[in-house]
Amino acid sequence: MKEILAIKNLSKSFGKKMVLENFNLIMEKGKVYGLLGINGEGKTTLIRMIMGVIPPDDGEIFFKNKKISFRDDSYKKEIGFIAEESIFYSWMSIKELLSFNASFYPKWNTRKANAYLEKFSLDPKTRIRHLSRGMKLKLGLIVTLASEPEFLILDDPTSGLDVPTRHDFLKEIIKELSEAGTTILFSTHIVHEIEGIIDNLGILKFGNLILDEDFHELKNSVKRVLLTSDESLEDKITIDGVITQKINGTQCEIVVYPWTEEKKKKIEALNLNNMEVKPMNLEEIFISFAS
Amino acid sequence: MIEIDTSSFIPFYEQIKQQIKTRISLGVVKPGEPLPSIRELATILIINPNTVARAYRELEREGFIYTRKGKGCFVTDDSTALIKKERTLILNQVFDGAIEEAKKLNLSSSEIKKIFERRLGLKTEVIKKGERK
Repeated sequence: MKEILAIKNLSKSFGKKMVLENFNLIMEKGKVYGLLGINGEGKTTLIRMIMGVIPPDDGEIFFKNKKISFRDDSYKKEIGFIAEESIFYSWMSIKELLSFNASFYPKWNTRKANAYLEKFSLDPKTRIRHLSRGMKLKLGLIVTLASEPEFLILDDPTSGLDVPTRHDFLKEIIKELSEAGTTILFSTHIVHEIEGIIDNLGILKFGNLILDEDFHELKNSVKRVLLTSDESLEDKITIDGVITQKINGTQCEIVVYPWTEEKKKKIEALNLNNMEVKPMNLEEIFISFAS
Repeated sequence: MIEIDTSSFIPFYEQIKQQIKTRISLGVVKPGEPLPSIRELATILIINPNTVARAYRELEREGFIYTRKGKGCFVTDDSTALIKKERTLILNQVFDGAIEEAKKLNLSSSEIKKIFERRLGLKTEVIKKGERK
């Protein structure tokens, strides 16, 4: 495994509120990592520390085996970053913004930037303050992709956008991914949009990853199991890995991870009328783990 | 056109595999013809290229397609025969399931045969009617 980003025992608190506590994460080169978590669980705080915008209280971050220190800018030219609100100087024209950015990135690809401008029908003479939210996102995408980043961080980039714009955006991300093998950290609120994109899934809760798995493996082994019996199922389910459990007298619904042959046998040994085992999609997985 | 049903619980690589097999069996892509490149298909479907690569890898291992370095993936000569064989296996399972259900109802072999023949007759009639139209 070739790791591109390694986070070790990272902690951060704001005042009395501990946001991240002994947080660990390893990201493999060329993979797409989906990061989910309900609001306030520290996704953006984590990303800001990776970007060196705020310092951690404790712990270390390594990018390509080199330790990142706060306010160290040397590694940033290899990282692309797109957030919900891209901050640009509003008085600049698109053309000015592009040449301004080009000066920061040694690998800047002017041809690519121009091709994208044409593709997205953006007029280089337009002032940034006259752009809509969707156009700004596309401009952010151009700036980021033209810098040929090895590592791309997407912090809820598509929230508040219409479906066609989101679609266009994701399509370009996929194209970049398959052409350049970019590593991506994708944090989003629109959970289903990353279902087909991610290789790994992390769910952030209580300052740490409560789940950090290969997404295909996860999808194969997490199951929703519906049980009905003649007698009450209260206190009868004793298997490990029950993520959520809803019991309604003789009916019961459990989410189990991982669901194994051994657990199946244990459940079948209960006095059941019926057992149904169902697969789960990302949205359901997220709800079960995060709640 | 290959389509991904994102609300489906069938894994995406499995959906791609199934649809490519269907296209081969329908003759939409013939032996020797190329499949879309991984990059192309990933961009069209908006899914991770690794997922497409996985589907292609499995199809190759199962003998439906082969890779020519730098040229892409192509349908093998054996593919249609393989698909027929696979479909027969699936069909066997479906029949086995139906027979098991029938046994639960304590039906005898001759009764099961009768049901089967009656269903087959009904379906054949429907198909014939369709052809006449």
